Amino acid sequence: MKRLKTGIPGLDEMLQGGLVPETAILVEGAPGTGKTTLGMQYIYHGIVAHDEPGLILTFEEFPEQYYRDAQSFGWDFRQLERENQLRVVMSSPEVTKASLEEVGGRIEQHIREINAKRILVDSLSHFERIAERPAALRQTAYGFINSLKREGLTAILTRESTALLGDPEGSDGDFGFLADGYLMLRYVEFDSAVHKALLVLKMRGSDHDKGIRQFEITSRGIEVHAPFEGREGILSGSPTRMVDSFVEAFVHR
Amino acid sequence: MDEVGMDLTGRLMADMDPRLLEFLKTKVDSFVKWDLIRFFHENPYTTDTAANIARYAGRSPEKIRDDLSDLAESGVLEKSQLRDMTVYSLTADPEIRQLLERFVEASADRQFRVKAIYHIIRGTTR
Repeated sequence: MKRLKTGIPGLDEMLQGGLVPETAILVEGAPGTGKTTLGMQYIYHGIVAHDEPGLILTFEEFPEQYYRDAQSFGWDFRQLERENQLRVVMSSPEVTKASLEEVGGRIEQHIREINAKRILVDSLSHFERIAERPAALRQTAYGFINSLKREGLTAILTRESTALLGDPEGSDGDFGFLADGYLMLRYVEFDSAVHKALLVLKMRGSDHDKGIRQFEITSRGIEVHAPFEGREGILSGSPTRMVDSFVEAFVHR
Repeated sequence: MDEVGMDLTGRLMADMDPRLLEFLKTKVDSFVKWDLIRFFHENPYTTDTAANIARYAGRSPEKIRDDLSDLAESGVLEKSQLRDMTVYSLTADPEIRQLLERFVEASADRQFRVKAIYHIIRGTTR
């Protein structure tokens, strides 16, 4: 099966080679965990390594912020835009939704003009502002994701979770349900330091690595490392060493 | 504006690139327009309503609505209807985009900026 490589060392192995074409993958995490960086790296790698142009849809963050952030990794987004390989499009969620529903709308034009294959939507959280009820939000998100697939795009959709550590409050199962894949990025505290963890929770139509892996944001982008070993309760945000749990359970009785 | 003032303006603008001078005269007659031009240059694929663009630019919608309309009329922006929303985006015309890029680049030069500011003030106090 053809896969779209993210170009993120370690992640493609976790995904059995990359993303399944024309699927939508939700990447959820607290602010600063690296959701946007992961998405930008996916877009950049598609353009430079696979000749797959990309679109970035942003609702609040100014495009110039993406150009700057990308530049810090050595990715020249402005140049890629000049070469018609990339477009960073900013609109409010209302305008984006209406534009995608319109035949020949502006977003469709962008997709056709650069022959986009990949898209980063940053972030879905802003759709929550335009839907009054959870049912309406689900319907909006469902229509939105389908319109991306209709255009033949393989999407990374980011979503913010509010809790910095541990179980994210307000984590909405609906988006996870609607997306074909679900990646969680988490802060984890141990040995008096905060680390970052990545977990592939779901990948429709494909097997995937079930381990919780440590990752770093380096000067070259995201790098995913080996699974956390000898610790448990990682998703709680404060994992314990397995040997301590063993002592707690059996020795201190 | 008296004759002395006119002469000063003429002298100030004399060494300006004629295409930029024309752009300044016909498209940029307010500081809000200058701001909007810079905003669309830095974020060239933005499409949104006046209310949202005002929020991005840190202005009130009432202050920018007329300027957005003027920029659309002068060909810098495109104005279109999306259901019940009027939305604005930067023109796709490569010639105007190039001119706009030159204008923003030139604005980084202090001397050019002083001249452009003088031109706008002169226009608004007429």
